[in-house]
Formats: sequence, C-alpha cells, structure tokens
Amino acid sequence: MNQAKPPSIVHQQLALDVYLQTLLDEVPEAEDDAVAETVEAARLVAREALSTAPESVPVVVSSPDVAVKTLVRTRQAKLVEPENPVKLQALSVMPDWAQYEFQALFFKVDQLILATPLIELSRTIKIDRKPSKIPGQPSWFMGLLDEHDDRIGVLDTCQLIFGKNRSQQRNQEDYPFKRILITQDKKWGLACDEILSIGKVKPDGVRWRTARQKKPWLIGTIIDELTAIIDVKQLVPHRKNS
Amino acid sequence: MSEDRKQSDPIMQWVTFCLGDEKYGINVMQVQEVLRITEIAPVPGAPSYVLGIINLRGNVVTVIDTRNRFGLPSKETDDASRVVIIETDRHIIGILVDSVAEVVEMRASEIETAPNVGNEESSKYIQGVTSRDNQLLILVDLNKFLSDDEKSELDMF
Repeated sequence: MNQAKPPSIVHQQLALDVYLQTLLDEVPEAEDDAVAETVEAARLVAREALSTAPESVPVVVSSPDVAVKTLVRTRQAKLVEPENPVKLQALSVMPDWAQYEFQALFFKVDQLILATPLIELSRTIKIDRKPSKIPGQPSWFMGLLDEHDDRIGVLDTCQLIFGKNRSQQRNQEDYPFKRILITQDKKWGLACDEILSIGKVKPDGVRWRTARQKKPWLIGTIIDELTAIIDVKQLVPHRKNS
Repeated sequence: MSEDRKQSDPIMQWVTFCLGDEKYGINVMQVQEVLRITEIAPVPGAPSYVLGIINLRGNVVTVIDTRNRFGLPSKETDDASRVVIIETDRHIIGILVDSVAEVVEMRASEIETAPNVGNEESSKYIQGVTSRDNQLLILVDLNKFLSDDEKSELDMF
C-alpha cells in the first residue's frame, strides 16, 4: 500500500500541472468558446487522471505524462483549429456584418446602383442646402454640413467611386446630389442621387472580394442583381485631427 | 464670470468676411483696417495668388487674391468688395474679400477643429469651424495663411 502511493501523488501532480498550464496558456480572445471548451477538456482530463489513478495500482510516470498531454493537445487541436483554414482566413478580413444575412440599403450614384449594409449607417437626409466648403481640402470633400447636433463631412461618392474624371463630367450645379447617407459615427455623409430600397442579403449570394488591396471599399457583388456592395468604413477617410 | 474661466476659455473677437457662399473669420487683433476697393497695380512675375500692390499712405502693400488662395473661382470686384489690411508675423498684407460682415465674439471652447482629410498643405491655415446664426463660420489662422517663403517673396514687390 505504501509502495503504491508515491506514483499516485506524481500522477495527481502531473494532472494538476497540465490543468494549470492549460489555464495559463495564451489563447486568442476571439476563440472564447474554444478556450472554454479546451479548459473544460483539461479539467476533465485532470479529473479523469485523478480518479483513474487507484492508489493500489503502480503508475509509470512517463506514460501518463504523454497520454495526458497528447489528449489535451488532441482536444485543443480539435477545438481550436478550423476545419477549413483557408476559408476562415479569407472570412477573417471581412467585417462582422458580412458573416451573416444582413440588411442592405440600395442607392443610386450616377446611374449605378450600389448597396451598403444598414448597420454601417445611422440615417439618411435630403440635401436641402449646400455643404460649407473648407479651403484646401481635396475635391471629393464637398464640405461640412451642420445637421442637428452633428457636423457631417459630406463626401462626393461619385468621385470616390468613379474617380475624378467621371466626377468632373457631372455638372453639380445642374445635377446636384439629392440625398446623403450618414455613417454610423455621424461624422461622414455619402452624397448620392437616390435611395431605392432596403433588402436582405445572404452571404452565400454574394461574390466576396477577399483580396482588396485595390478599392478596399468594394467588398463584393450581389450575384443575382450584380450590385456592388460598398464597405462604408473603408470608403470614408480617417480624420487626421479629430 | 470667474477668473478661472476667463483664463481657460477666453473670449476672442473675429472679423468675419464673405467669399462666395461661405463666411470666414480672422482674428480682430491682426486686422489693421478695412479699405474700399482701390486701384491694384499688378506685379509682373508675381504668383497667381498675388493680385498686385496698393499704395497705403506711402507704403506699398501686397494684395492677395483670397479666392485664388482658397481655390474658389474668381469674381469681379463690386461695391461690397473690400481689402482687409492684416498683420502677420510683422508682414503687412492686404486680402481681397467679397465683403466684410461684422465682428463677432466667441469663446475658444466654441471653436471646433476642422477635418483635415487631405494631405494638402494649404489646409493648414484653417484654424477651426464654428456655427453662427445657422451658418458655418470658418476661422482662418492668418499666421499660416502664407508660408515663410511666400511672406519673404511678398516683401520683394
């Protein structure tokens, strides 16, 4: 009886070490569920190891070490590693809203119909006065508009999307933009010609652009309608001093 | 009003002027006088933003085309046009504006930073923006209105 105890204590210590080590291991925050499951797995392994180590049975130290660690590793690998790493990597550059069915606002800019997720917008307004031009700003920055308590930087969506040449062909005096889509943070407004409708878009009905070094704001195309989906956050500039 | 607030949030006075549809403000302390439009003699070889020179009581003062400087289309002068004589870093210059409106008071806390979305150096002279009578007032930092090189060049005329 006395001879069997020391190996049992080693075994228990080993199991506890594995359990504690697993708790201390750094795991990315995004994988909270996996972490919880992994920790739970380690806890089970530790509990199992403790319960399956009868005092009377001699235990070889090296064997359970490998077994427990392998079991934890296997469990970790099973829970943390994605089934299709390539696909997950592509989706990881997508905004959250692109992962599930989302509501999109369809609008028109210079004869082109575009869509953007509703979640990126706070509201839309009619343009009833000209934005105040700020000297020294790029030509796509139409100016500032005070709207309720917000000061909105209005952007020439036509120029941002089609470039300066096509924008210059458009006579803003004769064909002014009529509506503004205001971003969620209420800092920016995208000028457009018309707001069309709101519709639901399923991710599998979209051809997503996973490589977006060029035109990062063009995130995909709705396959049925061949409508470009605009990522507003990528389209608006980052204010340097606000 | 407490002394603390006077110091931490001082009241500033701004001379406002119009260019096109927009209203701008400049620090009243830098404004020397406001002149009706007078004969402006062009200077050969001057940069496009220089309209020319005027004789101000025996002193030659360079007049800047503010519309050109702000990237606005040019406009014929009329009865409302004014040349605002300003002092910036010991340089006396005139700026041509469509009209001069008024002098307004505002606290420093009322001024918001204007967005600077581009890389253009010219936007540096916009000190901030504020709302006044339901209109945006764009505040111009006259000390940055011209670069040091440009100021030196104006002294040559």
